[in-house]
Amino acid sequence: MPDATPPGTRLSRRQLVGSLCGGFGAVGLAGMLQEQLTGAPNSSPAGPHFAPRAKHLVFLFMTGGPSHMDMLDPKPALLRYAGERPESVDLRTERMTGGLLPSPFEFRKRGKSGIEVSELLPELGGVVDELCVIRSMYTFNPTHGPARNLIHSGNIAATRPSLGAWISYGLGTENRNLPGFVVLSPGHRGGNLWRSAFLPAEHQGTHFDNTDADPERMIRYLRNDALGADAQRLQLDLIQALNRQHRESVGGDSYLDARIQAMETAYRMQFEALDVFDVGNEPAAVREEYGDTPYARGCLLARRLVERGVRYVHLYYGPGQPWDDHKTINRNLRERCPDMDRASAALIRDLKRRGLLDETLVVWGGEFGRTPVSEAGDGRDHNPYGFTMWMAGGGVRGGIVHGQTDEFGFQAVEDRVSVHDLHATILNQLGFDHERLTYRYAGRDFRLTDVHGTVLRELLA
Amino acid sequence: MRPLGSALALAAAAMGQSPEAEFFERRIRPVLVERCEACHSSRLPEPMGGLTVDSRAGLRKGGASGPAIIPGDPDASLLIRALGYLDPVLKMPPTGRLPDRSVEDFRAWITSGAHDPRGETPEVGESTAEAGPGMPIEEGRAWWAFRPLAERPAPQTGDPDWTARKIDVFVLARLEQNGLRPSPKASRQTLVRRAYLDLTGLPPTYQQVEAFVADSSPNAYGDLVDRLLDSPRYGERWGRYWLDVARWAEDHPTTEATNRPFANAWRYRDWVIEAISQDIPYDRFILSQFAADLLPGFRPSDVRALGYLGNAPIYHKDRRLSRDVIETIASDDWDERVDAVSRGLLGLTVACARCHDHKFDPITAKDYYALAGVFASTWQVQRPIVELDPSMAERLVWDHERLYRIKGAYGNLKELDTVAEDAHDEIRAMKAEYERLERELAGNEIPMTPAVIDCGVWIDGSMPTVTRMDLRPDQPRDLPVFVRGSVTSPGEIVPRRFLAVFEAGRPKPFRRGSGRLELAEKIVGEAGPLAARVWVNRVWGWHFGSHLVATPSDFGTQGQMPTHPDLLEDLTARFVRAGWSLKWLHREIMLSATYRQASRANAEWQTVDPNNRLLWRMNPRRLDLEAWRDSILQASGELNLAGGGPSTEVDVVAPARRSVYSRISRARLHPILQLYDFPLPTQHSPQRLVTTTPLQQLFVLNSGWMRSRGRSLASVTGEVSDSRDRIALMYRQALSRMPTEEEVRLGLEYLAQRTGEAAGGRWEEYAHGLLATNEISFLN
Repeated sequence: MPDATPPGTRLSRRQLVGSLCGGFGAVGLAGMLQEQLTGAPNSSPAGPHFAPRAKHLVFLFMTGGPSHMDMLDPKPALLRYAGERPESVDLRTERMTGGLLPSPFEFRKRGKSGIEVSELLPELGGVVDELCVIRSMYTFNPTHGPARNLIHSGNIAATRPSLGAWISYGLGTENRNLPGFVVLSPGHRGGNLWRSAFLPAEHQGTHFDNTDADPERMIRYLRNDALGADAQRLQLDLIQALNRQHRESVGGDSYLDARIQAMETAYRMQFEALDVFDVGNEPAAVREEYGDTPYARGCLLARRLVERGVRYVHLYYGPGQPWDDHKTINRNLRERCPDMDRASAALIRDLKRRGLLDETLVVWGGEFGRTPVSEAGDGRDHNPYGFTMWMAGGGVRGGIVHGQTDEFGFQAVEDRVSVHDLHATILNQLGFDHERLTYRYAGRDFRLTDVHGTVLRELLA
Repeated sequence: MRPLGSALALAAAAMGQSPEAEFFERRIRPVLVERCEACHSSRLPEPMGGLTVDSRAGLRKGGASGPAIIPGDPDASLLIRALGYLDPVLKMPPTGRLPDRSVEDFRAWITSGAHDPRGETPEVGESTAEAGPGMPIEEGRAWWAFRPLAERPAPQTGDPDWTARKIDVFVLARLEQNGLRPSPKASRQTLVRRAYLDLTGLPPTYQQVEAFVADSSPNAYGDLVDRLLDSPRYGERWGRYWLDVARWAEDHPTTEATNRPFANAWRYRDWVIEAISQDIPYDRFILSQFAADLLPGFRPSDVRALGYLGNAPIYHKDRRLSRDVIETIASDDWDERVDAVSRGLLGLTVACARCHDHKFDPITAKDYYALAGVFASTWQVQRPIVELDPSMAERLVWDHERLYRIKGAYGNLKELDTVAEDAHDEIRAMKAEYERLERELAGNEIPMTPAVIDCGVWIDGSMPTVTRMDLRPDQPRDLPVFVRGSVTSPGEIVPRRFLAVFEAGRPKPFRRGSGRLELAEKIVGEAGPLAARVWVNRVWGWHFGSHLVATPSDFGTQGQMPTHPDLLEDLTARFVRAGWSLKWLHREIMLSATYRQASRANAEWQTVDPNNRLLWRMNPRRLDLEAWRDSILQASGELNLAGGGPSTEVDVVAPARRSVYSRISRARLHPILQLYDFPLPTQHSPQRLVTTTPLQQLFVLNSGWMRSRGRSLASVTGEVSDSRDRIALMYRQALSRMPTEEEVRLGLEYLAQRTGEAAGGRWEEYAHGLLATNEISFLN
């Protein structure tokens, strides 16, 4: 009964969505699980516009703004001019800064591509031939909140749908027992960054706190503390029997079926999620490869979720703003990088081994970079003018460097890439023309890239 | 340089265009239009640097620094120096260097003679950006939503017996036109539940249902509606609807030091509930929220009404940012107000005109900045709500304001203390001052509330390290048109005034203070017919679950047309004639036969009109979060009806207050509110979406909160020993009816299967199951 095809408008909507998807197969969650009871003015989910290169996206988000000059963008000139403050670096940033601060970390050419990578990232250096390193990112705001909003939603104000919500709106999920847009964030509460804003609420990210390895602590309301699976099945059978009685008495209607079905999905999700979120189910060797920190488990979970059809996993490195190294940056990076390096590289190798890297786009980066000039002698301030991100898999070219910053790493000067360009490119890989993935709201069509964005075709395989 | 590609030349030849023209059209003109003309167009009153690039002559003549291009000589052309970022000062576009490829295109173009097929004067009307609004103002005045209101004659219909109110005649006529008939009347049980939930947000108790079903007086239903309208529960329900429109919340989108949550934001919520309960006429209701303090008959406690503007979201302005960045963020604040007011009250998307004249509606960028100026001339402060000596009241306002601001600025800037010599003393002084103010205000027991005062807001960027808000009390600020929404391209200054389309002649500038009272007077005066239509349509939507105009915050040309234009016109005109009385409107709607129809679907009519736009039945609805949560708490016997005062979190049950008293946060909206489609109050939401998701059901099935409610329901029925009787009591308590024989059987069967469990546990599970059913969640 609960799995019966729902009647009436549901079916036609489903067919409509199916036809828009152009045979891609997956149906937006909207078409399957959600009924709009009101005559909402908006059209059905967009579906991909063309054959996608990637079916999944994993965003490894380094909150706080990681230092590109210490990791992926070598700047030997910093040493030559150490302590000086040439005119070209006299840019206004959030805080007071002093002279140029050299990176103490050694860079070496790695892989066949010979891309220079810092000693902080030995493991990522080992997979550098899979990476498309963009050294010419820039953003529009030097403050965390607005810059983070921009990279999450294409706008500095906290009012637009997040990238993940757009993707969920466009593609739905492949696995009806799991949400299409999963957020893994240790210790982080509040859904402002993974909001759906004016898109329907079902497209908001579903947040899991992966501080703890235990899935039951990770997922709110996932488990019933009082009832075992069989007892709960009995209780649900009772509820559904009463719901059928009710349906008889008021007349069948799709909205009633939608809730009946959503309850069944919730019930199944408990077990599927308990299983998928339990990294203990992985062989010891795999767990060892990733490591055993919240971020490492997050990377491993990302792979497990992608494998089960989740569209988008957005993983935060840690609570707060771990990469916001205003002070003692060198010591901090030495402590923080090994964990990030090992797990990120493990994720790429693991996806590749399983044949998933081709269809999974991995993106790494923060809301901005850091200044080549020092703050308080041993730290670096926020740098919106130039920073590094990398992508891997999902139909982008590996082993290339795109763009460059000036000789000190302050400003992106060649082949500059805006956040909108990045978004346009990500959507392109998922099968969307970023100018056509729109939603009508407040009298006009909104899109992730607003009126900006150029797909970076030279990065595509 | 790069030679013009041969493929391009071939393609151009095939299109009958010279390769040079093709190159210009493909590679040069789009860049000029998209990246340069925002500041360098002859349409601008003052093009930056005197340079215009929208004509052949403009580029060759150049601006203040001389000709922009020397055809044939790229190295001597200023344009190339600027585009290539080769000049230490002149770097264009200032927002970021063009891609190398594009700069090379410009070099190639100039080298080959700068062929420019455009004329000597700019082409008119090609760029829509500055071409005026999508609909001329004159034409706009004739748009249906802007016309004066007039009552409509009732059309002839074939069934005068069915119609109970004038509404019904219009509805029936449309049904008949489409070969449909109304549904039968809803049963009395259904109707009483509908009326209670609609007007009070709470279902009737078993006794209330029985009393209504047994009441055989001809006026039983009308009396019920009157009684419910007098209930204190009514204001709590309908006040909450208004709070959605007002996007009310108690803090800001982010919570940095400069924008800590509001104190006393709940006072506005309580004022709204009181005002709705007292049926303050809607026009007065609006006037109060802009300018209660300037209205005749003002009482100090009316200041709470100003929370409509006083609780508006403020975006974080890091004082270390540049003047332009801070002004951009401030203009985002003003934009939020323009949007909330125009979409919320007028159903107009005025915010579209921030960057350019509206593309579809008769609204210009000047209109936008004329409205935004009102908000750039007000400032959010705490104001006392009791009678005080005026000078003392003013001092209190500014002391509170200064404490809030200085403390925020200090929190924001204190790290500068160690490095920025020039800011050192000032930051120290800030600390001393806020500590002094804190001491002085610590003993203050005068109740305050978030409100606004008239005060012009400028941004002072004269200090090298910090940017300051320059507040000038009683000096209003007229804003310039920010070309394409950019504060770095200020254009013509526009006096504060109302939207031109509503004014008979030239719009008259606002004269009194910020102009907030005049703005409100215009909204319910000149734009009154529109404001009333928008409000009547919203109220209709809350009663029926769907609107006559399906885009309740867009009555412009991009919105939907009304399904029943005459009905909306007539009802709105009579609403205004009835003194803008919301309670009149409720009665008119609820006493109609249309409202009293059953909600059962009819397969045949469903094919004709699947979305029930013609109202052949009542729409079945899912309860919103507030009504659902309150229903559960009433069922479990825990609901505490104490009203008013500071908010509690939505999951708190000690005391279990009505949901309207839940804390509403912009920065961290409670997960339960997020789960159940509560609109994000960071911005105006036209209506609530209704989603049904598995995550909601995980909450229903598994949360400790739901299981506790089951436990309470089991315990309030715990004294009944007979299982059948106990099941019946639970049905009466939770669903306000007796169970059917089949339902009793299902209950007994379930309890029998769980005999291994302690008796208490079984009944708790069963009670939890009842609370999880569709019947509690939906309204027929």
